[in-house]
Amino acid sequence: MLKDAYDLSFYEFDEERDPKVYGVLLCDVVHGRPPMKPAYMGIGWYWYYHGVRYGAARLCLPTTHGWDSRFINGYPYITAIRTTPEEAEAREPIFRERIKPFLENFDGVWDPLKADLLKTYKAARESRGLKEWDDIKKLSNDELLSFFLDFVYVINRKEGETHFIMLMAAYYISGLFQEMWRSMFGKEAGIDPKFHRLMSGFESMDVSFTRELWQLGRKAVELGLEQAFKTTEDAKVLDALKATEAGRKWSAAYHEFLLEHGWRADRQHAYDFPTWIEKPSVGIARIKVLMSEPIFPFDAHRERVNRERQEAEKDVLAKVPEGQRAAFGLLMKAAQKGGYWSEDHGYYCDLAVGAMGRWIITEFGRRFAEAGCIDDPEDVHYLHPNEIRKAAIPMGRINLRPYVERRKSAHKRNLEIEPAPFYGDISQAQDIVRSDPTLSVSTQIPIVREELKADLYGAAAAPGVVEGVARVIMSPDQLYQVQPGEIVVAPGTSSSWTVVFSVIKGLVSDGGGALSHPVIMAREFGVPCVSGCVEGTQKIKTGQRIRVDGDQGVVYILDK
Amino acid sequence: MAEKWLYWLEDLGRGQNDLVGKKCANLGEMAKVGLPVPHGFALSLDAYNLFMNLAGAYDEMRSCIERPETSLESITGINELSHSLRRIVESKPMPAEMAATILLHYQQLCDRCCALDVAVSTRSAGAASHPGQYETHLNVKGDADLLDKIKKVWSSSFNPTSLSFRKQKGLPLESDPIGVAVLKMVNARSAGIIFTADPNTGDIGRMIIEANWGLGESVVGGESMPDTYVVDKKTFEVVERRLGTKLKCVLPMEQGVVEQETSKDKSCSFCLSDEELAEIAKVGIRLETHFGQPQDVEWAIDSDLSFPHNVILLQTRNEVMAKKKDPVDQLLDLMVTRFVKA
Repeated sequence: MLKDAYDLSFYEFDEERDPKVYGVLLCDVVHGRPPMKPAYMGIGWYWYYHGVRYGAARLCLPTTHGWDSRFINGYPYITAIRTTPEEAEAREPIFRERIKPFLENFDGVWDPLKADLLKTYKAARESRGLKEWDDIKKLSNDELLSFFLDFVYVINRKEGETHFIMLMAAYYISGLFQEMWRSMFGKEAGIDPKFHRLMSGFESMDVSFTRELWQLGRKAVELGLEQAFKTTEDAKVLDALKATEAGRKWSAAYHEFLLEHGWRADRQHAYDFPTWIEKPSVGIARIKVLMSEPIFPFDAHRERVNRERQEAEKDVLAKVPEGQRAAFGLLMKAAQKGGYWSEDHGYYCDLAVGAMGRWIITEFGRRFAEAGCIDDPEDVHYLHPNEIRKAAIPMGRINLRPYVERRKSAHKRNLEIEPAPFYGDISQAQDIVRSDPTLSVSTQIPIVREELKADLYGAAAAPGVVEGVARVIMSPDQLYQVQPGEIVVAPGTSSSWTVVFSVIKGLVSDGGGALSHPVIMAREFGVPCVSGCVEGTQKIKTGQRIRVDGDQGVVYILDK
Repeated sequence: MAEKWLYWLEDLGRGQNDLVGKKCANLGEMAKVGLPVPHGFALSLDAYNLFMNLAGAYDEMRSCIERPETSLESITGINELSHSLRRIVESKPMPAEMAATILLHYQQLCDRCCALDVAVSTRSAGAASHPGQYETHLNVKGDADLLDKIKKVWSSSFNPTSLSFRKQKGLPLESDPIGVAVLKMVNARSAGIIFTADPNTGDIGRMIIEANWGLGESVVGGESMPDTYVVDKKTFEVVERRLGTKLKCVLPMEQGVVEQETSKDKSCSFCLSDEELAEIAKVGIRLETHFGQPQDVEWAIDSDLSFPHNVILLQTRNEVMAKKKDPVDQLLDLMVTRFVKA
């Protein structure tokens, strides 16, 4: 029997056949919680799954054709489409040629692709005369539909393909580096603090972005505007600023910042979260947190982190037999660049394309609601491109409610469901993840070490041991609840969480491999972190005292 | 056919590659100049031929090769032929006169070592050096075991790789005479390799010593990451010292050997003392000087003997310097080995 996936037949799960054919399907705990809404699943998320296969084909990965993916009860499950041994043999020589440029000069591949993406986004806006968020309201229905189609079938596709060819190369390189690490040093890279030191200290766009926010905060202090930021309601801060000359000056600078960098929402991989340019008060909350810091937290640690990295580099290379040193050094550099890319690409890929999608889709939501096709503008998130195409031009003549209703109630049911971690035979998970190192983006198999008698086992993502009060955060709209000095427990984190790293004491995440966002940011900010615990958000409750051991990669619940 | 087909090592020398195979000739050369090699004797290439003829193996193998169902066009075909040929060789009893000669020398070896049924290794010695192609048997004990293992070394000249190599080169399939070295086993505490010049960089000013606990097979096989020392050949100073993971080591059992996981305290400590290192390095330089070019040497530390007599040499040969491979290609090879062939 096929399980419904909001009418997206390519995601429907065949309970009998799929586990048999693929061995096991693993829940994507990193991206899948809380459950996505149908519109995003069919557009943005689709192009990522497409990207994985495109990347596998372009790089001619020997062991996999990319992932296959299903949605079960609203949660994403993934597995590898493994090649046959004959295919692997035939693909291998081509793979060697195609992966080579990434090993030789990772940035040399990424920089032009990045520039091309930025150009594409810019052209999409400027060719339609759009600058401000509200400018999209000026487009006719035809123009808006044309923008939508460009976005769905050209721009988003381009982003997905670029994104995944880079990601797959980065993960193959990192995967090899981690394998070599294990055979040379006899320790899993994921639980080796030295490995993490090696990967630290590279400033991604995400960090630069947060630094600009901090500078805006410091500017507000300089201008004597601190008082205006003292109110609890972020929207009121902006109102208060309008009252003074200095306040207006600051607001203008903030607006300029948003026009450049505000194309992002706090939840990636969704269209139902406001972007910063659309709702400037979102950024105010972050500026509040940062403005009292006399030194930008990343910069405070930067010197130490860089020094430790350089020491680790020297130390590691000295331990490598001389015959392998040149190759290992090259691999280490490529792996570092790949790790840095992993953190950097969010700005150019996920965030930018997500914001553009939200821009167009919420505008359709507004028009459909106004024209009586749906009851609430937010209902647009239950529609698929075909239905938007159906109703865009005969605006007001199509009733979209039947589509919305059945998917909305299904989504509501799914919100109550705790996803099963896998379907099929879990003993095959290791083999499947090994056949495709990129699966570790979204899946996690904890390294259990009984002798440590811990409550949770994960990866030693950022060194240090801390004890403190846990705060379980299931989605970014709960970020405001975080109190300074707490330990955040989350399913995963994305770039939008960067700002809380400057106030928290520790981090525990359910998902996240060595290149995932929480891991990298925790290292940058010197916050002890255990990632990939799988069940952290299930086992830990807000308010409990926990000990996070970022050296060993384990978590202890102290008051059970 | 030569009358004599068995020689004590010390009666052999460098010029006798074609007689007894390179390994035995070099062992003989080392013994002759007073370098520490184990007691032992060598069966010449003629011994191989003599056995095959007396036992009637050649005729039987030729008819097996000529059978219409024999095919060397597929890997399965080659494997099947290899299996059949090896079975023919190994099923033949050692001809009585050969057995008598071999066992007489074995008895004398036992007497020299003051032991009953002394443990030996039987090692192949090809006329041209083909490392790893033929078999070595370790910790062989007693008359029956010895005769059996000598036949096994001979029959290993019919392994699939050698068969397809001979087919490619148009050489006769049914014969590739090799010598056999029968050496007293070293009760190795640690063992390994010396490269008297750095094979990776071609630097002749320094030598590389790799070592693991137990017998040298774990180092030669390249599966366990050994300890590595880089020694300056002028000053005998250890300029680099890297602790290997040494996850596994090879140890003797009652008969034969076993590969097992190294205990934690052993895998975390170096397996050679500084004075042993210096002695090994000195021996390496003597070898290089004597043979006139960089050597690739197998050695072992015998725990039954005291320093400096405990450094025993098991083999030397001219070192093959690696052509420098581009690091990117090295990585691509690794990537393919790890992700595709794993």
